[in-house]
Amino acid sequence: MTDKPLISIESADCVFQHVSGRTVKALDRVDLKIREGDFVCLLGRSGHGKSTLLRSLAGLNALTGGVILVENTPISGPGPDRGMVFQEDTVFPWLSVYDNVAFGLRAQGRPKAEIDGTVQEWLEAVGLSDFAGSWPKELSGGMRKRVAIASVFAGGAPILLMDEPFGALDYVTRMDLQQFLIELWQRTSRTIVFVTHDIEEALVLAERILVMRQGRIVDDIQVDLPRPRDEEVRATPRAVEITKTVIGHLGLGQRTAA
Amino acid sequence: MGKLTIWLRERWISLLTVLVLIAAWEIAGWLAPTSPLRQSPIVPPWEFVLGPSLLGMSDYWKIQMLAPVPELGGQQTYLGAFLAMGWHSALTLYRITLGMLLGAGAGIGLGLLVARSLTMRRLVAMPLHVLRMMPLLAMIPLFQFWLGTTNLSAIIFVAYGVGVVYFVGTINAVANVPRRYVDYAQTLGAGELTIYRRIILPAIQPELFSSMFLTLGLAWSAVIGAEYIGVDSGIGRMIIWAEFFSHTGRMVLVTLFIVIYAVASYAILKRIQARVLAWMPEQQGRNRY
Repeated sequence: MTDKPLISIESADCVFQHVSGRTVKALDRVDLKIREGDFVCLLGRSGHGKSTLLRSLAGLNALTGGVILVENTPISGPGPDRGMVFQEDTVFPWLSVYDNVAFGLRAQGRPKAEIDGTVQEWLEAVGLSDFAGSWPKELSGGMRKRVAIASVFAGGAPILLMDEPFGALDYVTRMDLQQFLIELWQRTSRTIVFVTHDIEEALVLAERILVMRQGRIVDDIQVDLPRPRDEEVRATPRAVEITKTVIGHLGLGQRTAA
Repeated sequence: MGKLTIWLRERWISLLTVLVLIAAWEIAGWLAPTSPLRQSPIVPPWEFVLGPSLLGMSDYWKIQMLAPVPELGGQQTYLGAFLAMGWHSALTLYRITLGMLLGAGAGIGLGLLVARSLTMRRLVAMPLHVLRMMPLLAMIPLFQFWLGTTNLSAIIFVAYGVGVVYFVGTINAVANVPRRYVDYAQTLGAGELTIYRRIILPAIQPELFSSMFLTLGLAWSAVIGAEYIGVDSGIGRMIIWAEFFSHTGRMVLVTLFIVIYAVASYAILKRIQARVLAWMPEQQGRNRY
């Protein structure tokens, strides 16, 4: 991990025009720097700008003000340097598992031999080598999530953006995949920005938690807990302290118009 | 053998309906008042349809080869009947197949060209609605005035009829491709061309098959209609010839052939669909029967 910022977001604004004519500030002067190799969780309640920020980073959402720089270059639209895992199932149902994982490499026009090697390697990494020729419909939800993860890792993007990727999975599968994602992250030193509304998930995954509220980043917490972050680690005074801080920010206990 | 037994066990009731209908037709044939013309019973019973009517089909064999030509004073023969049926069926099948392919190609191609741009969609929206509303069969005379009563005219007419459906179907199907697939592909570095080829095209396949099943019936109406009114050969024309002399049995026979072709083309398309859409998650047995 180095100290130079890989991503830097400068006074990002995003104003939506609601159908009713009301304007909504999804992002409100967000300033943020993210180091290379970091694992950042964007934590907050629904509708407070996490996903907007992530989609802006991906280049799928245009800012109404401010700029996003990746390696000092302003981004203009989506690119293969920023892969994204969505909450919804985005594994292409009409492509086999193999072709799904190969999709990004093919789109980038890599040589065939390289594609084959990389796809095999990532299928192996996610434990789906035996399913290379299967249709996605033949896999469970958790397995399809592994395909999505393998696909973005195989695509080679140094920055991985994840929008509540495990939100729709059952508890055990989710814990399983969290553990698995951490292993991949430690092995590959990619930079991950992970959106979640689940404090426990953020505690398990993050090196750094950014708490978002009403389109702003209201706190920036370094999660200095040892790994693996099992139940015992999550019960230490420091972990409880972080949880309390976050809950305080999210406004539990106070009545807010959410 | 095992397959047939299973099929029978599951479908015997469907089979029974068909048999009952066949029997009911026969009974109706015997109950219906006798027609003053011997050759045109009001409801022709089966032995009439498969006897004199079938033999009479040889009247429509007009090539002096293989079988005598009754028009030139030759004998009515079963060989001639089958040759006539085969020849005119082949012409119609040729027209419908080529027309379908042309129409699908043009309709899907144009649809894809227009579908991803809002300006383009708006550009064609109004004329397209007019085209869709225009009754297809009412346009046969106009087409024949423009293109004559030729093979080509029938083919282009079928192509036009199905092409409009494919055009509209493609635009709708592209609009229905979930946004997330395109977003995801873009973050993997896919350009517009890759998105078209590897996302849009496969994603619209299920809806395109719906258009295909829809156009199958339409294409049959179009080709029979074109032959019925103008083109001087084909299955549709045989019905007109039969009508000239009130050959009710022959009309029934030709209609039966059309039904067989329509069912066969439906079954073939169903097969192709099952193969092409093997990736699709099964629907919960909704359409099973």
